[in-house]
Amino acid sequence: MKETLHISNNQKINAFLLFFIVTATQIGVGIHGFQRVIYQDAKQDAWISVILSFLLAHIVVYIMMKTLDMYDSNDLYGIHIDIFGKYLGNFLNILYIFYCSSAFFVIVKNYTEVINTWVFPYLSSMFLCLSILSIIIYTFKGGFRVIIGICFFSFFFLLWIPPILIIPLKYSDLNYLLPILDNELKGILKGVMSMSFTIVGFEIINFVYPFLKNKTKYKRYVHLGMLFTLFLYLSIMFVSLTFFSGEQLMKTIWATLTLFGFIRLPFIERIEIITICLWMIIILPNLCLYMWAAYRGVQRMVNISVNKFLLIFSSIMFVSGIFINKRTDINLLNDWFGKYAFAVVFIYPFILFLCALLKRQIKKMQVSNSEKS
Amino acid sequence: MKKVKQLLLILIFCSFLIGCTETKILERISLATLIGYDVANENDENVTATVIIRQVSPDNKSTLETQTNTEATNQGTRIKVNLQTAKKMLAGQTHTILFGKNLAERGLEEPLHGLMMNSELSSSIYLAVVDGDAKPLIEGNYKNITDIGQHVYNLIDHNVQRQHTVSSTLHEVVRNNYSPLRDLAIPIIKKEKDIIKINALAIFAGSKMVGQLTSEEAFYVIMLRDKFKAGALELKLPGDTLDQEKNTDEKLHVAIDSIQSKRTIKLVDKSTPEYDVEVDLACRIVELHSNANVGKPDVTKKLEKAIGKEIEKELKRIVKYTQEKNSDIFGFGDDYYASVRNSNLTEEKWNELYPNAKVNFKVNIEIVRNGVFE
Repeated sequence: MKETLHISNNQKINAFLLFFIVTATQIGVGIHGFQRVIYQDAKQDAWISVILSFLLAHIVVYIMMKTLDMYDSNDLYGIHIDIFGKYLGNFLNILYIFYCSSAFFVIVKNYTEVINTWVFPYLSSMFLCLSILSIIIYTFKGGFRVIIGICFFSFFFLLWIPPILIIPLKYSDLNYLLPILDNELKGILKGVMSMSFTIVGFEIINFVYPFLKNKTKYKRYVHLGMLFTLFLYLSIMFVSLTFFSGEQLMKTIWATLTLFGFIRLPFIERIEIITICLWMIIILPNLCLYMWAAYRGVQRMVNISVNKFLLIFSSIMFVSGIFINKRTDINLLNDWFGKYAFAVVFIYPFILFLCALLKRQIKKMQVSNSEKS
Repeated sequence: MKKVKQLLLILIFCSFLIGCTETKILERISLATLIGYDVANENDENVTATVIIRQVSPDNKSTLETQTNTEATNQGTRIKVNLQTAKKMLAGQTHTILFGKNLAERGLEEPLHGLMMNSELSSSIYLAVVDGDAKPLIEGNYKNITDIGQHVYNLIDHNVQRQHTVSSTLHEVVRNNYSPLRDLAIPIIKKEKDIIKINALAIFAGSKMVGQLTSEEAFYVIMLRDKFKAGALELKLPGDTLDQEKNTDEKLHVAIDSIQSKRTIKLVDKSTPEYDVEVDLACRIVELHSNANVGKPDVTKKLEKAIGKEIEKELKRIVKYTQEKNSDIFGFGDDYYASVRNSNLTEEKWNELYPNAKVNFKVNIEIVRNGVFE
């Protein structure tokens, strides 16, 4: 279709980098405590919920890519305008920009909360927020390719997690996984919904798509990236389910961190403190890409310079961060965002796909009609 | 552009300053290494905490001091302790936490919850119950022990590593406490003149201590709960095991070590409930008070049988004891829940079922080798 984005070749990236982009955006703050939320619904079958949610995610991402393939080189914002026209399209764009911004906000808030609880209880969360924002602005100014480079590096900061999980495995009891499928299907499906907060991130391909060099063979990298995340989430889920007893898991707010807290290495006694600080590098690409996606949308609607956007965006984030500080507020925010993300990421792509199909059909008919007459 | 860069640079330097927040310089803090909790008063909720505090001074010597205070919550005692010390007290180096017997009998629910809520403490610290009160044990004078905090930790740690006693890390204790179908077992330590020793094993029903097993019996508890990687055991077999002429009252003493065991628990009848427990145990004989030739196959077989029988007898006795106390420290309830679908097993229901449960044992012994001298 007609609208295309023109990206110069030196801005484009290799398709295989999508693997790192997808894993980097999927793995964020959710991994710290997703076990408890899912356990509440699915009990000992929580790992089935994890698998099912990834199955659903693979289907969704396939539909997303199908929609993107209908256009030569365009991102979601352009597709919206093409399908729904200027006004409705822009309205949807605003909703999506809002989604990206709230994802950004949720990540910052959750991370500062973890730091405040585990490492520096007396440090003002405003100061933390400010320093995180300054690092992100610095990265963001480097441009798209720098952000992708951070994605690439942050991946290697994740690789130490699976081997270190072997240590708590010694204390695990397989009985806690049994009996399999003893709960109602409803609970497991509810668990799938609760996963949405942790699993989202792959929707970023909607915006990265026009920047790909080779658009024919990119799908496999997206799926591979998601498989890696599945592997990581599933191994953490299995270890947590067998390591904690049910009631205990429900009471543990950040089960992954408590799990790390148990590990004692000869040269360092509390590795979770280091893990938390290291996590900055893991959430950095997350934050940058969401900010970047929001910027792409804003730029389409109003002519705005990068500096101005950064200033406005970060001040909004900073100011709204002042109001939400209590744990209860953050929990409410997470719940709300989980639902919003489920609607935006898991349901909306299907609607969009149908609309795109319909639009193409109508166009075809119009073309054949005009040929006849 | 240049201005923005300068501004960013300043911001980034600010973020490096994060390293200067909340400094905890070793010379300016005191580290709690061992904490003991006791019941302060029979009538109220208050708990007495006794803390061993290590202070590192610049001249390379560290001093120890003991502080005692009574308050209802952990934090309350902490504030009071801070009022008595010259340096800020931090709990991150605590490796062991002791509970007085009276407190254990009153219930550990609240103390455990308080410990888990605190992010300062790792969940791999050890818990132990003290025979009597914790305070006299901590404050006592010992001839050969310089640092009692480290000493108690090492005492428990090496015995747990060698599987002489049940592992009681905070995590495991809390896990069993919050699992409705399984109860706790925590080692009991006791002061005896100049030494501290692991004396027994406390067993709990719910979170209240209801009875105790001797430290020899702890071996069987581990055997049923877990697998052995390296254990050791001394047994008294009937006197006529190897020598028909001797009578049964004379005892034949055997010591085995390098024990490796594996247990399988099977629920055979879910209404009674009835379990089949099979223990496979491989070991080495290190001591045998008899002149019989252990190298001979038939002698070995006799020994294996007698040892198996003896272990079965002990296991039965111990399980019976826990049933009387209604303390399921072996996790039979978890097995029940895991193998019965839609059981809707609750804590109350299991408390009714467990005392009547039937457990059949089968112990298969394999003597792999004996010492260097027959």
